[in-house]
Amino acid sequence: MEEKIQQKMPNPVPDGQGILPANAPLANPYVPFQPENPAKYTAKKGFVRGTLFPGLDLPFMGMVNKNEKPATPLQELQALGFAIYELVLYLDTHQQDRQALELFRDYVRLYQEGKAKYEAQYGPLTAMQAGTGGVYNWVNSPWPWEYQQEKED
Amino acid sequence: MFVYEKKLQYPIKIARTDPRLAAIVVSQYGGPDGELGASLRYLSQRYSMPYPELKGLLTDIGTEELGHLEMVGTIVHQLTRNLSEEQMREAGFAPYFVDHTAGVYPTAASGSPWNAASMAVKGDPIADLTEDLAAEQKARVTYDNILRLSDNPDVNDVIKFLREREIVHFQRFGEAIQLLREKLNQKNVYYMNPALDM
Repeated sequence: MEEKIQQKMPNPVPDGQGILPANAPLANPYVPFQPENPAKYTAKKGFVRGTLFPGLDLPFMGMVNKNEKPATPLQELQALGFAIYELVLYLDTHQQDRQALELFRDYVRLYQEGKAKYEAQYGPLTAMQAGTGGVYNWVNSPWPWEYQQEKED
Repeated sequence: MFVYEKKLQYPIKIARTDPRLAAIVVSQYGGPDGELGASLRYLSQRYSMPYPELKGLLTDIGTEELGHLEMVGTIVHQLTRNLSEEQMREAGFAPYFVDHTAGVYPTAASGSPWNAASMAVKGDPIADLTEDLAAEQKARVTYDNILRLSDNPDVNDVIKFLREREIVHFQRFGEAIQLLREKLNQKNVYYMNPALDM
């Protein structure tokens, strides 16, 4: 299996330098396929860059978020959730990439641990969790769009 | 169905209010290339998509766009909190204020309310996915333009994130077209409409 995968990804050219074959059928829209097992940022770096993949990180006029977010429980959860969602979109079109699937499963495991801890401390993330402490605490914890003066960050 | 998660995809905490900037950013809430149109476009196009990868990708990107709609609404909300009398009268904000006060309404910055004419569902997968490529590019440029117009670092931090997501989505839609093409007549991908004829 592993050998087969290795053969499947001769990742040929560095990010940003590939070209489409000159003999591709005419009058079709083309975007080059992202090769399997592409380079990846850490979840925390990818989060502030807006992508997990350096090859897709194409900022406007050099404007980039250089600083990673402080490691609050919420922001750690958001960074993991972001990495997971980025990998979902990638896996939708790269279902055979075993490395990406492994990373996805690792992040999901971390996310589930972080989510349980976060909810125990700050309240439910979904209404389904709202009665776990014996009181209905869905509505009174802050709503995400509210400006949090004292947000612990 | 959809289940609400009580958190934003990316943190937003805007220290300095600026209603004039809110009246610009609101275009990505309800303007022609905004997140409302993006989510409705993808979540509506998916019904006529013929292959599982395409149904999945449109569902997943459409869902992420709903999260972005919430983020843009959050920026507008936070930029307009604690309005002063002077801010209500500001040239760039008064026209929005008179109609919507400090509410968040889906409108283009240039004043037209959100309109389904700004998106399309053609019912042909190559046509729809090509529209999606263009939609992601137009949203990217709108975010470029917001970065040109804004000097608010807390807003720009979020806009840079949202802008980059458009580039990633563009890549995935392009790959979706490639996956689709592999399943069609290799000599003529326009031989028929796979949403109808397969």
